[in-house]
Amino acid sequence: MPTGLFYTKYQDDEKIFHTLWVKIWMWALLIFLFVCFPFVAYPLSGFFGFSLQHMANMIGIFIIGAHGLNLLTGFTGQISLGHGAFMGVGAYTSAILFMKGGWPFWLSLPAAGLVTAGVGMIFGVPSLRLRGLYLAIATMAAQFIIGYAMRNWTSLTGGSAGLNVDRPSIFGFALDTDLRYYYLILILVIFSTLFLKNLLRTKTGRAMVAIRDRYLSAEIMGVNLFKYRLLAFGISSFYVGVSGGLFAHYNLVVSDEHFTMWLSIQYLAMVIIGGLGHVLGGIFGTIFMVLLPELLRIPTEILSNIYPNIFAIFGTLRELVFGLVIILFLIFEPDGLAARWHTIRAYWKLWPFSY
Amino acid sequence: MKRIKIFQWACVVLLVTGLVFWGCAKKEAEPLKIGGIFDITGPTSAVGKDYAQAAKDAERYINENGGINGRKIQLIANDYAYKIPEAVSLYKQYKDVDKVFVIQGWGTGDTNALKQQTNNDQIVYISASYDSNLNDPSKSPYNFYVGTSYSDAIRLAMKFVNDSFKEMFPDAGDRAPRVVFIYPDHPYGKAPIPAGKAMAKELGIEVGPDEIVGLRAIDATSQLLHLKEFDPDWAWVGGTTPSTSVVVKDTAKLNLRTKIISNCWGFDENILKLAGDAGNDRIYGMAPFAFWGEDVPGMKAAMETAKKSDPEGIHTVRYIQGWTAMMVMWEGLKRADKAGQLNGPGLKAALESLQDFNTGGLTAPVSFTPTDHRPNTALRIFQMSNNQLVPVKSVSIEREDRFLGW
Repeated sequence: MPTGLFYTKYQDDEKIFHTLWVKIWMWALLIFLFVCFPFVAYPLSGFFGFSLQHMANMIGIFIIGAHGLNLLTGFTGQISLGHGAFMGVGAYTSAILFMKGGWPFWLSLPAAGLVTAGVGMIFGVPSLRLRGLYLAIATMAAQFIIGYAMRNWTSLTGGSAGLNVDRPSIFGFALDTDLRYYYLILILVIFSTLFLKNLLRTKTGRAMVAIRDRYLSAEIMGVNLFKYRLLAFGISSFYVGVSGGLFAHYNLVVSDEHFTMWLSIQYLAMVIIGGLGHVLGGIFGTIFMVLLPELLRIPTEILSNIYPNIFAIFGTLRELVFGLVIILFLIFEPDGLAARWHTIRAYWKLWPFSY
Repeated sequence: MKRIKIFQWACVVLLVTGLVFWGCAKKEAEPLKIGGIFDITGPTSAVGKDYAQAAKDAERYINENGGINGRKIQLIANDYAYKIPEAVSLYKQYKDVDKVFVIQGWGTGDTNALKQQTNNDQIVYISASYDSNLNDPSKSPYNFYVGTSYSDAIRLAMKFVNDSFKEMFPDAGDRAPRVVFIYPDHPYGKAPIPAGKAMAKELGIEVGPDEIVGLRAIDATSQLLHLKEFDPDWAWVGGTTPSTSVVVKDTAKLNLRTKIISNCWGFDENILKLAGDAGNDRIYGMAPFAFWGEDVPGMKAAMETAKKSDPEGIHTVRYIQGWTAMMVMWEGLKRADKAGQLNGPGLKAALESLQDFNTGGLTAPVSFTPTDHRPNTALRIFQMSNNQLVPVKSVSIEREDRFLGW
């Protein structure tokens, strides 16, 4: 019976799936997501009162973005308050290339990622000199500049009225329903998660973690700070750009209102609540941040049917409770949901001999 | 550790009671569901709260007065905080889960963003946005609204400025009136501006540089200082009541002689309090609806219902706006049900059969046709004088085809 984790080789420590069971569970989860979820989503939606399929799609889209920010903030230690705007760059790029340029979706989506990576790297340049709060303010500039461009470059972006986007098709397969789009998102989420997980096991990933832990030591060890910081900004923005592209074609409309400072902060909240520096953190945090407001809507709807005369108050209450829950989570789970997940798992695995 | 356990238990207990509570609540007989997308906490909440409350109260009134030929309705009212993404998400919920075929919506941005989808899904969308962009059925057959469109309002405002110019500005001599447009950088604010400028050009009004004042602005001095050189006689303000009152107060503070004419969402009973003395003889507003408590036949039902739901509630013209939108929808639903077509296309056809539908004086008679979704083209212009809202003139514009859809 195991009483702890004992590895004799470094390779074991670096494994993605430490035991056979983890692998089996992972496959079970994948089969559930691919095969069973579409069947249970519909009946459960009626029960919950909101569309689970839609929520799953939104969660998937934001997981990709959250992974991006987690790479930058959680693994490289560079804070960014511009990721909301970067997501907008991706969304507009894909929308414009697809709608105005007539590009196929399988080209416009990676193009969205690449353009966003470029933009992200430009705004990442100050990271050479700036750290911490100063970098946060510098990246916040991206939010203002890009936001202004989205609002006022009317010929390209449609101004504050936004841009209507059509549902795309990939190689003749029309992604016209939420379910079909779900599979595209799911595949991209799996791919992006695997890429992130593997990236962290490479030289590049280790260099980034070294920069996060102590940039001075990293530099002395020969890590090129500028290169890796910029690379982190680039990859991170690529992720967010792809997520923006997916978002645009899913919501069928993009406007500057989607990509405000609030979204940047929401992204930060996702990775902080989920757990900075855990790949799982991006996933848990996104599920939490996307689902919680919807779940809070349920009591609001019920209460407003019982007390229709003060229903306006409940709408306000929802925002309040949302804020309160986030504060409580940060107090009780300062290391994020991913850390809690690990504790719970270890508890079950090592029971009753955990130390 | 103990603390965490208590927290976890509290979570579990909350979840279980929540589930039980909500399981019970769901077991009632199935009324006809109607989607509601309102702004209760966002930038337009100052006018949105009362509108949403009216819609919710109207649900009760409708159910107490026979519902839709006996069937009750249920308005699923949700706040979207004036955010387009939230509206899109709510729309998906209403369409996929609640399976509604009519939605009471709110803002210009989100209504336009959802336009394509609502029309594909054949869901009737009654908005509180009176954007002219939505009244051309060849482009958006499922969009309706009750209220004079923003563009018709701005055209009427330009006409009023031109017609009353000699009388109101006797010192001006023979020169043309000078007008500027002040609005928030938002689809709602921008929507009617082209129509206003075209009308101004037609009437020979001189148009100055536009200024942007946001919906949440608390200061407009820098924008107004820009106008000093142009020295406009009139400024069109397309905001909500709080932002309009900011413009009014700052105009007074800077001693500008400019008079202000506001779109309907920027002019209600609250302007008296918010603008204070600065508003007297300065602020004029477009009033497509009867103000709260006005002596018209339709007012009684609204006031009684409001009193029933909250005896101490203070309401404004916004309540009447929400109320009227619900009443027109009710009439449409009743007609659709009689025709045995209680669905999206049926409601659309029923609404398009409305001819001079009498709202009891709450707004001008409402007509829709399959080729024209302009509800009406008449309104009153009010001004603030001696800390009261005083009617100035009733105006109306011809239903010309060239004004359809913009």
